[in-house]
Amino acid sequence: MKINSAVKLGTVATFAAVLLAACGSSSSSSSEASKQTLNWMENSALPSMDLSTSTDVVSGETENNTNEGLLRFGKNSKTLPGVAKSYTKSKDGKTYTFNLRKSNWSNGDKVTAKDFVYAWQRTVNPKTASQYSYMYAQVKNANAIIAKKKPVSSLGVKAVGNYKLVVTLTQATSYFPALVASPMFFPQNQSVVQKYGKKYATNAASNVYNGPFKLTYWTGTSDNWTLSKNTKYWNAKNVKLKKINFKTMKDPQTSLSQYQSGKLDATYLSGQQPKNYKNSKQYVERKSASTFYIELNEKKDSMMKNKKARQALSLAINRNQFVNKVLADGSTAAKGLVSTGLASKNGKDFNTAAAVPSATTQDLTKAKKLWKQALKETGRKSYSLTLMADDTPAGKNSAEFIQSQWAKLDGLKVTNSNLPFKTRLARSQDGQFDAVISAWGADFPDPISFLSLFTSGNSYNNGKWASKSYDKYVKAASGKDANNADARWSDMVNAQKTILNDQGIIPVYQQGKAQLVKSNVKGLIYFPTGANWDFSSAYISK
Amino acid sequence: MAKYLAKRIFYLVLTLFIVITVTFFLMKLLPGTPLTNQAKLSKSQIALIYEQYGLNKPVWQQYLLYLAGAVRGNFGTSFQFSDQPVSYLLSSRIGPSLQIGLQAMIFGVIIGIIVGSFGAMKQNTWVDTSATFVSILGISIPSFVLAVLLQYYLGLKLGWFPIAEWGGFIYTVLPTLALGATPLAESARFVRTEMVDVLSSDYIELAKAKGLSRTGVIYHHALRNSLIPLITIVGPLAVNIMTGSMVVENIFSIPGIGEQFVKSVLTNDYPTIMGLTIIYSFMLCVVLLFTDILYGIVDPRIRITGKAN
Repeated sequence: MKINSAVKLGTVATFAAVLLAACGSSSSSSSEASKQTLNWMENSALPSMDLSTSTDVVSGETENNTNEGLLRFGKNSKTLPGVAKSYTKSKDGKTYTFNLRKSNWSNGDKVTAKDFVYAWQRTVNPKTASQYSYMYAQVKNANAIIAKKKPVSSLGVKAVGNYKLVVTLTQATSYFPALVASPMFFPQNQSVVQKYGKKYATNAASNVYNGPFKLTYWTGTSDNWTLSKNTKYWNAKNVKLKKINFKTMKDPQTSLSQYQSGKLDATYLSGQQPKNYKNSKQYVERKSASTFYIELNEKKDSMMKNKKARQALSLAINRNQFVNKVLADGSTAAKGLVSTGLASKNGKDFNTAAAVPSATTQDLTKAKKLWKQALKETGRKSYSLTLMADDTPAGKNSAEFIQSQWAKLDGLKVTNSNLPFKTRLARSQDGQFDAVISAWGADFPDPISFLSLFTSGNSYNNGKWASKSYDKYVKAASGKDANNADARWSDMVNAQKTILNDQGIIPVYQQGKAQLVKSNVKGLIYFPTGANWDFSSAYISK
Repeated sequence: MAKYLAKRIFYLVLTLFIVITVTFFLMKLLPGTPLTNQAKLSKSQIALIYEQYGLNKPVWQQYLLYLAGAVRGNFGTSFQFSDQPVSYLLSSRIGPSLQIGLQAMIFGVIIGIIVGSFGAMKQNTWVDTSATFVSILGISIPSFVLAVLLQYYLGLKLGWFPIAEWGGFIYTVLPTLALGATPLAESARFVRTEMVDVLSSDYIELAKAKGLSRTGVIYHHALRNSLIPLITIVGPLAVNIMTGSMVVENIFSIPGIGEQFVKSVLTNDYPTIMGLTIIYSFMLCVVLLFTDILYGIVDPRIRITGKAN
């Protein structure tokens, strides 16, 4: 009897469940209001909304849509007016004066120049322990404040009245407008920050917003969060979306299924997915401003110090085959250290101007010849090295592919070592490697974000490659030529040519993301650095 | 009983203390820093930030401070979710994990008992063969494969259940089925073997001879006696579900703690690693204690007080 009733109960429960499922799908039928709703996915949850301390892409993306700085990024990383209507730059390029418009926070408070002064001081304050405070390096006294040598109030930013902000820099910085368009330079409302104290920005309610949207649902640890249109935003009449639902999808197959069933308007593709959907009309490739390159440890031995050996290792790699056949995820063959699409002058991309094809393309015959010479010059018959890389799928694919390419060089034995990201990083920084696949993502759209890494003695220069002329060009670009756009551009072009000609690093690929986007989603703005997305002009067409 | 419980709770605390200590020092051997932006920070910048978090102190001092905090219920602040206390992070995410785990356990064991009993009662018929087939299938198919299959067929193709996400009972059905397959198969196998044994024992013959109805015999005599060994596997099954949930939570986008366990280790999120280790070991200890007590209740021959005389 008992067993019978258990079976009955089970049957009833199953029916109830199916019935509930049917109800669930019918209640989400599209009404007028839901038409302007965007369902967007992220690979990981939103970990923070504190403009001073957040570091990851998801936070940056959300903040860029809920808040606004002096300027905003538009298409192709062009800076557009934000809270500042306009700005002027002094002749020496060291002083910027921003004229602020009258605008409001979502709680009705006025957004004033003081909010910027407060936010900037809070970020560089050592007590805040911001991991991005180094971005302020160009602002007067920032470095001294971060190192606890000067008081926070000495930071080179002053409010003149409510609507004028004067910023003093230590040296002319041509990309400063791009910096102030990034979330760590956005304003913060002092009374709100102080009111919530430790709880500030740890959930949707304990925060205040001045951007196109406001965060209306987020518990601080939830996998879903919601943005709703901010009616107090100065440009609210041009914001069409009413709601953006962010959903964390950790599994790419789940995400694709959700996209196919209409629960998501866009999804990132990974693994085999990009290959399967390459011909779809909804398929889009997004270039990231991050380059993957191999660093060779020149402190290890004479072989790694030998230019011919380094060139041979670079010439042996067929990058196009790698990105098209192995990765096939929207990534492209690296054309240099600086990522393509990051910066251009007169419509010409930086990498077109600063290309050194021999350092980024395959020539196996030449590679073999150079390798033989290098072995001879260093008095060797054979050479073995360990190639270190991340233990992610892409890291493993890269290491295996490069190992197979290098195997074509006579007398070279390559062992692979795939490690967790943090371990790989620690070993790179301590010089415990022969060759390592490293990556760098630009913080702001300017080639110097990449080029400054490889000056001699720089802590990110793990391979310890050094070149006096490279140092000279980079120094000039951020020093004497900083205020002269043409001279600065040619300094940077020369710097990249120098490192490529000497094969200081071996560029491999530029990361790209493959994505499916529903064809009725229009007006999305993507830019390759930092926050990546701006939804303020996005809408759902009929 | 009270004395026994007190003793077991003392051991539980001792176990937790050892787990905390070992994990703490092992964790500090992990290379790298807990800073999310580590790739872009120089050593001097890291040193400055470490000072703010008290990570520049000697490890034994950090350990004592952690213990002192943990005793008072302060498990520190997460690094991945900045400014979120670990206790909040875990308490806000443990609900879904527990719900899925418990549902899978209850569903699996109950259906397993039913399947196993039918198998034993109809020994060597097609019912028995299909019951065995189900349990072999359940044991050999990993939960994540089953999860993907369920998601594709019942979720995407038939649209009966939501493919993923969280909200309401309907969302728990597929993950429960995926996670519950192993306990179902294991308990079906156990119950069948045990019951076949029991059904051929003398007291069943006696019960039948006394004229008891078939259901009476099965329920009162056969089933009850077959369940005793099942309790021994509940502990290992619970562990199985805890580890299985890490993958299943990812596949169904469930906002649980499973994923946090792996992620916190990979990102050196020290306070979260500690918090999760404590929770997982606590849950395991409680399950083991519970099965020990349950054993005594189901089988009076086992005296938990140890007073044989």
